[in-house]
Amino acid sequence: MSLVRTDSFKSADELSNPAREALAATLLSLADNKRILGMRYGEWILGAPTLESGIACSAMAQDEWGHGRILYATLKDFGLDPGVLEHDRPSEEYLSSELLDSEVEEWPDLLALNLLFDAALSVQVEALTNSNYEPIHFKTRKLLEEERFHFEHGRGWALRLSETATGREALEAAFRKAMGPSLRWFGRSEAGFGQLLQAAGVSAGTADSQRQAWLDRVVPVLAEAGLEELAAEFEANAELDWSDWDADRRRGGSGGPDAETLARIRGDKNRSMLMD
Amino acid sequence: MGHLSGERLYEIFARQKRADRLEHIGTVSAPNPELARVYAWKTYDEATWFEMVVAPRDAFCAVNRDEVPFTLHPVETV
Repeated sequence: MSLVRTDSFKSADELSNPAREALAATLLSLADNKRILGMRYGEWILGAPTLESGIACSAMAQDEWGHGRILYATLKDFGLDPGVLEHDRPSEEYLSSELLDSEVEEWPDLLALNLLFDAALSVQVEALTNSNYEPIHFKTRKLLEEERFHFEHGRGWALRLSETATGREALEAAFRKAMGPSLRWFGRSEAGFGQLLQAAGVSAGTADSQRQAWLDRVVPVLAEAGLEELAAEFEANAELDWSDWDADRRRGGSGGPDAETLARIRGDKNRSMLMD
Repeated sequence: MGHLSGERLYEIFARQKRADRLEHIGTVSAPNPELARVYAWKTYDEATWFEMVVAPRDAFCAVNRDEVPFTLHPVETV
């Protein structure tokens, strides 16, 4: 959905306090998720089922780290220091999904991150691209072009695995695990960043419209892969469990990236080599 | 390049400018056209391509020779 940009915001200073905080949190959440998702892709460079998919994982890892870098840099406009955000926060300050807290053990679980969660991030980026916050407009074009191929990779593998009963079952189990966290990631209908940004005239999308945009993207792939029952479960999302939902960190549970993940995404080993 | 059962080899053609001719730049092994497109784009990313296309190797018809097109290690007989 595109907006008529009659009153676009040229910097974060022009936003009201609640809208500025909501937008900063949205950008940081995207940056944190992409930083860690990149690491998850990277962990499969040597373990992917084929040489070609290993190369694709390597490329997607590089893409995500690039996107994370761009998104962290946008937070300068909000008076935040990207260096601190990238290298100096404890786990509990990361706004990353519980799906990314630790290394994924199985290829179908990586495909769930690839097809489902990565697409959720793209829907949010698209909403920002179409928003009234101008500084983001020109930073996301290449990002979204790259994401088209991430989605096609997830789709191509879903179709591949669905050719056998064993593959289809493994896929279904992995996708079902990722379903709740992915659907919830857009936030509650009646509250959350989406609503705040819409009320402030920054963005047209609400949590519900983004969730629907995401469903419109992923459900046809599930059907293509012969997972009709699961597709119906995705569509019937009225009963999402919000009991452990942390709206501020946009995740389920109070955890965060595990110690090994944190050390690697922050670059702890090479901290002494960091330069301004 | 070996490939898994259920996979096909896809030949990749690309050009950097609209005025260029498509040139054969490489090969990937993939189980379906969706993945062939992704693998081609992500593997052969050394240039900013104006256009890239892929086609299954077995879709090519030999014209003057009997052997399979794009044989990487041609038999040493003439």
